[in-house]
Amino acid sequence: MAIYNLDAILKTYGDGYLILDFNHLFISSSIREEIWLLQRMDDDAMTKNIMHEAEEFDIHDAKGSKDFDTYSGGQKAILACLLITAVIRDQKIYDLKLLLSNVLDSISHDNRSKLLTKFEAMRATYGMKLFAHKKDHIHEIL
Amino acid sequence: MQIKKGKYRLEDRGLNFTVCNDLDFENRGNCFYFRGGNGFGKTSFLEKIIIPRLKNDNIHYIYIGQDIRIQLYTLRALLSIQGINVPNNDEIELLRLWLNNSKSATVFIMDEFDKYFPDYGFIFDWSDSFIRTYIIVTHLSYSRPDAVAEKYRICNVRFELINFDGRFKHVRVKQG
Repeated sequence: MAIYNLDAILKTYGDGYLILDFNHLFISSSIREEIWLLQRMDDDAMTKNIMHEAEEFDIHDAKGSKDFDTYSGGQKAILACLLITAVIRDQKIYDLKLLLSNVLDSISHDNRSKLLTKFEAMRATYGMKLFAHKKDHIHEIL
Repeated sequence: MQIKKGKYRLEDRGLNFTVCNDLDFENRGNCFYFRGGNGFGKTSFLEKIIIPRLKNDNIHYIYIGQDIRIQLYTLRALLSIQGINVPNNDEIELLRLWLNNSKSATVFIMDEFDKYFPDYGFIFDWSDSFIRTYIIVTHLSYSRPDAVAEKYRICNVRFELINFDGRFKHVRVKQG
């Protein structure tokens, strides 16, 4: 039995879902770079918004250029979720299906509640649906 | 091995811990659950304070870190080098083999392993004959304590943010 099998998740769900996996949250080294890759330009306003939202999760030392390796695992998971919601808002992406793999269990109870509240707002405005992967199946959260 | 109550500063991580009680990792039969908000230093406390002390005291330990992906590759290579026949796809068996070949360890550290396996009682079944102390970082409120409680005393350790002064996070570490 596999403890961790991202290939199987990608094969099964890769076509229909945006997959956010705890062990592969980012492809670059900072929020500024992630935004640059996703928006194809610097976006100071988006960076500031994400940093501002991060404060709500007690991430007080967040900066656009701060290396991801200097955040804790849970903080990185939160930042990745905030980045996704920021891009959805900016690009007005509707009906996205977001699949979280080992992400919510990396986040403390309080922060999880705050994050789910944000996702609820995304569902109401943008029709985003949220799923979680556990072992070998997924279930819809929102 | 004990972490005495007092102040511990990790300059490079911007963390300043106040440990409120002596944490005794020596007594046989304790299972510590580390809980607290994200970024309050649970993993840093493990890696920069507890593990160096274990090494210094020559106490053998097993550590399953948060990012299990790299660790599984490493484990496979490690066991292969030791001449142990490693199964291709069965990672649970890989883990069992590792534990079976790590019986000199007396401390077992798991950092959020429960997010991969919420029901990880098999870990205790495989290791409680030689492990004296478990240290488990978790965000789950329920961590199968009944599986451990038969042999191990549950010790909850909370990491609480007191304040952030612009450079350091001041964190209270409190047992009980």
